[in-house]
Amino acid sequence: MDAATQDMLKNLFETKLNSAMRLYLETCTHCGACVEACHVYNSMPEMRYSSVGRSEIIRKVFLKYFKLQGKIAPWLGETIELDDVTMDRFYDAAYSCTGCRRCMMYCPFGIDTQMIMGIAKLLLIGADKEPKLLTMLADMSIAKGEDAEASKAGFEEAIANIEPEVEALWKTAPGKKTIPLNVEGADILYVALSPKHSIIPAAAILNAADASWTLSSFEAVNFGAFMGDSKRMMAIAQRIIAEAERLKVKTVAIVECGTAYRVMKQQTGKHPFEVVAFVELIAKFLREGKIHTTKNIAEKLTYHDPCQVARNGGVYEDPRYVISQIASDFKEMTPNREMNWCCGGGGGLVAMGELEFRMKSSRVKADQVKASGAGRICTICENCQTQLTDLSEHYELGVQVDSLANLVAHALIQE
Amino acid sequence: MESITAVKVLDYKGLSCPMPIVKISMEIGKVAVGDVLEVHTTDPGSIADFPAWAKTTGHEIVEIKQEPGLIRIFVRRKK
Amino acid sequence: MNALFSLAASAVQHLTGAKLGSFWSKAALILSESADATSGATVAADATSGATAAAVAVSPFLNAIEYTIVVPLLYFSVLFCIVGIIWRLYKILGAPPAPYSLKIYPSSKSPGLGALKDTFAMPQLRRHKPLFWVFLVIFHISLIMLLLGHLDILPSISIVPESSRHMVGAGLVGVGVTVPLLYFLFRRFRTPVRELSVPADYLLLILILFLFLFGDLMSWGNSWTPNGFVMTKQDFSLYFQGLAQFTFADPRAVLPGSHYHFLVIHVLLADLFFIVLPFSKILHAFLSYPINLLRRK
Repeated sequence: MDAATQDMLKNLFETKLNSAMRLYLETCTHCGACVEACHVYNSMPEMRYSSVGRSEIIRKVFLKYFKLQGKIAPWLGETIELDDVTMDRFYDAAYSCTGCRRCMMYCPFGIDTQMIMGIAKLLLIGADKEPKLLTMLADMSIAKGEDAEASKAGFEEAIANIEPEVEALWKTAPGKKTIPLNVEGADILYVALSPKHSIIPAAAILNAADASWTLSSFEAVNFGAFMGDSKRMMAIAQRIIAEAERLKVKTVAIVECGTAYRVMKQQTGKHPFEVVAFVELIAKFLREGKIHTTKNIAEKLTYHDPCQVARNGGVYEDPRYVISQIASDFKEMTPNREMNWCCGGGGGLVAMGELEFRMKSSRVKADQVKASGAGRICTICENCQTQLTDLSEHYELGVQVDSLANLVAHALIQE
Repeated sequence: MESITAVKVLDYKGLSCPMPIVKISMEIGKVAVGDVLEVHTTDPGSIADFPAWAKTTGHEIVEIKQEPGLIRIFVRRKK
Repeated sequence: MNALFSLAASAVQHLTGAKLGSFWSKAALILSESADATSGATVAADATSGATAAAVAVSPFLNAIEYTIVVPLLYFSVLFCIVGIIWRLYKILGAPPAPYSLKIYPSSKSPGLGALKDTFAMPQLRRHKPLFWVFLVIFHISLIMLLLGHLDILPSISIVPESSRHMVGAGLVGVGVTVPLLYFLFRRFRTPVRELSVPADYLLLILILFLFLFGDLMSWGNSWTPNGFVMTKQDFSLYFQGLAQFTFADPRAVLPGSHYHFLVIHVLLADLFFIVLPFSKILHAFLSYPINLLRRK
């Protein structure tokens, strides 16, 4: 690596040094409390797969380039130079971390490893060594925002083509559109994903509640966030923000996608609309008696708290309440809520493929699901759902994985 | 338009997000430049996803055909 | 800043200037006393007189070094420490804030109180590392007692009665810091903490361990042995009074006996500790609250 590249990377590093980052880099006392927090370390016990093991690579580079101690006595903190080997270690650290932030439940200082990994991810982009698949997906999302008009007619046709499947779940009231698009002044903008299974159950539920809603033209998922690229992240989110502002909606309801929810709720500033996870709407409809369900799931059912919605988003009780309205035999996993094990598919890993690593690194998750004794598991994140399905297959758990919205849509009854 | 012949048909129906785009970007490298792949999907989002992907990666969407229950997307490898 | 300069100036003046005369005369006095003692002995073996001769030659230098350690260097290191801490805190907390909230849920009703609880009660460690937590709690409470114990030596502050031979905790505070410290050091030699540790971690703990041990020597001696440590708490208080009043007097005058050197080493380690502190992980004492606030706010 030449000096110019090193300088460029050093400058990129510096852009990340806000007060929180400095606290995270300078406070760690190497106490080791976080080591056992990580599902990857627990499944593959190597220090590089622990929270502190990942962060230390960044800290040692920080010490070398930004601290007097690293310049005077580099041996004291065993500093690391920015070179190709270090960049490979950055990749190994950042893309073996799912950004679940479970380690924040162990650290006496609450150090956020996901945030520190943001430095590694940014420098990887700078060195042109980031996962190209994520860049491609993020750039696709951005391009989609630029050319929204071109595919408008085609999209409308595709949406009209899936309307019968919504009707099969719930007959829309006469005079109302089954899947409304571009409705100015609607109360709710529902932001789905590309697949139809992210649209159909939600549309049935919204129609059952007789809600005033409209479907977003964009997918909620944010690949820029997975890449740790705040510019791309904002560009992708901005498409939806602009749409919500144009349609003057009161609420933006995010599909079952953890990253999408956290990005929109916490990482894109203040909005003139409220941001909710779709499950929060379902719970509200049920509490207000706007929809009614039957407890049509008799088999033992458990629930997986997606990290970005639960620990990092605060949605714990609504999904449990919703489940209590559709299932008669609910069993919590141990641990659960803020201590729940990450599914092992976050941080872009599912999108990147990485099947072998995802399976190896999530052995603890498979054990946890197995121990619950449940035959079915539901969750509110597409990413978790994919990973749990893969885990069930790989570890032969024989567990059926469902989306909670889909279960609710199939439990809807006319009162 | 009648003359489009795909060298391969790819069934991407019912995949989870963002697998159709991930898979097509893998498959496109396996055919010769100029060849056309036919993707079968059920994702309404694909209508915009594929052209946006083609634009950023330099390939071409020859045609998108829709019928109830199936979306057929014809992708030509350009480089 | 002016006060700082005048302090430094008077320290320099003391070392080089007028007062130096009294210092040398005191040194000469000590030397002549030891010479008298030697001549008074009926049989002076060659070896003994040889050693004495060496002592005579070294003693003035040793005295000068020891005086430097226990008075001017102590002032300097404490001042350096305070300025260093302020500088570090300014660099860290003065940087722009994070662009978005970093909190985790369930959220505290009061982020400030939540962060205080995290800082002082360390519930995460209590849950996941209970033994480590017990040692940490004993250690940190003892550290506060240790600070009080040193303040208590000042004649103007009286926590334990001035007349008592005991310092705060009567030797137990020393146990409270030393035993956990040994635990902290030993756990660094074990996997997985060993794999995370860098030389700075070991050196810091070793520095503090020796600092404590020399303190223990004095405190345990005074509290737990019939003869005491030769220098009593009352002797130390005269030294502290001199420091507090910036007299720049040589404490050798009030701290008799050859055990004095133990005190000098204790103070030397304390000097090092103060100089190292702002650039070491001990800064977590000041960063713990703001960093925990990020998780709560």
